[in-house]
Amino acid sequence: MVAVDWKLILEAIGILIYAILVGFLFMGIERKAMARIQRRVGPPIYQPLIDTLKLLGKKESISHGFIYDFGPIFALAASIAALLFIPIANFQLFSSNADLIVVAYLLEVPMLGIMLGAMSSGNPFSALGVQRGLLTMVAMQLPYGLALIALVQHWGTFKLTEIAALQQVQGWSITVPALLLAFIVFDIVFQAMLGLEPFDIITAPAEISMGPMVEYGGKHAAILFTQHAVQLFAETAFFAVLFLGGASNLLTLFLKQLAVLFIAIFVASIYPRFTVDQAAKFFWKWPTIIGIIAVLLTV
Amino acid sequence: MSERRDVNENDGVIHYELQEFQVFEPLFRWARKKSLWIVAFCTGCGGIEIPPLATARYDYERFGIMPNPSPRMGDLFLITGYVTPKTLKRIIVTYEMMQDPKYILTHGSCPINGGVYWDSYNVVKQLDKYIPIDVSIAGCMPRVEAVMDGIMEIMRKIESGEADGWRRYRENYDYYRKNQDELFGEGWREKEAKRWLAWI
Repeated sequence: MVAVDWKLILEAIGILIYAILVGFLFMGIERKAMARIQRRVGPPIYQPLIDTLKLLGKKESISHGFIYDFGPIFALAASIAALLFIPIANFQLFSSNADLIVVAYLLEVPMLGIMLGAMSSGNPFSALGVQRGLLTMVAMQLPYGLALIALVQHWGTFKLTEIAALQQVQGWSITVPALLLAFIVFDIVFQAMLGLEPFDIITAPAEISMGPMVEYGGKHAAILFTQHAVQLFAETAFFAVLFLGGASNLLTLFLKQLAVLFIAIFVASIYPRFTVDQAAKFFWKWPTIIGIIAVLLTV
Repeated sequence: MSERRDVNENDGVIHYELQEFQVFEPLFRWARKKSLWIVAFCTGCGGIEIPPLATARYDYERFGIMPNPSPRMGDLFLITGYVTPKTLKRIIVTYEMMQDPKYILTHGSCPINGGVYWDSYNVVKQLDKYIPIDVSIAGCMPRVEAVMDGIMEIMRKIESGEADGWRRYRENYDYYRKNQDELFGEGWREKEAKRWLAWI
């Protein structure tokens, strides 16, 4: 008989519900802020929830086989797994000695899940979107890795909780000059991770009509919306833990996440889209150079 | 609901109109009304009337309306102007790709009765014979305010359940199919599909 830790289970479910709701709120804030920057009124802040509800209420849903159904669920599961590795206000379900690496790569897995499902649909736009997505992922790995190496070399640990604790004592990461450079690199990569404007080449709506998402509708799309909400929460929380000193309660974390999100929104609303080759060239040039300088400064 | 599908019976469509979910129907109706995604398929001259709707002056995103390039996710199909038989083929294919419930809003006089093209040999005079239309806006071209009014009308109809074009299309599929085949000839779907197979 295994003893069941009910408190832990309830905490995990609570964090999950909180993450989904706040993720939807972030998506709403994103749309509203973009609208206000363009001097429009914009949708209500709970609009993504209405959209998801509508998608769930669709009366039919096209399926292209098992892998097509499996893709969004795989993506959602990977996002949730990444979320449970991140220390959110003293709560961390899973912990290991190298959870920074685990989270950094679990945050990339959802994109692969969506691509898996999209490729099985056989739509040419999906295939094109997947090609672009894989190229973007390859391009952003190098600066992403360099930023994380600089961070790890400075704090000397792979544990997210220890990084957060060290920042509470010695000041946030961004107050260290070398890590400020790493922060800039990470923020550029972050834009591509969120799929926001200079690097939204994967789902370029005007070119390849939503890319991998073109065949998804109905319940599949609702799962993808939920996945995006969790992903947004997890990524902003990861950013806040790495560079903005973590958080001891949910309110502080929320404010830090909001700050990170607004940087991304402001950047997204003024820049046009890169083409694929421009994005790859850009990633392998400026962020990589800044990242190498950051790594060399921390040695 | 009667199940009248295309020639392919097992085309991988999952239908779920379960009685258990009827309780949530008012909630779903409200959500459908507040989140209409437009299929960006601008036919005819009315397509140019859509950008003013999206920009700061009228801003249809206030009502949750968003242009969506993928027909699988779309809810509202705008037919913005005259329809030729060549366009009508695409319209029918796109409409059948969209997932229930789906709504059609037509702009201008041309889809109603041909408009200024009343004696043209290659304009579809009465679009209602080929696909079900929920709301038509008369005028040549209707102003942006009129389009806004049409969108308000379709939102009202969705909430009250009057916008049932998708159901009419299912129930009277033989009628619509007969009219389509009269215009294009038997087996036009297969011929169209064969032309596109090389690209897939």
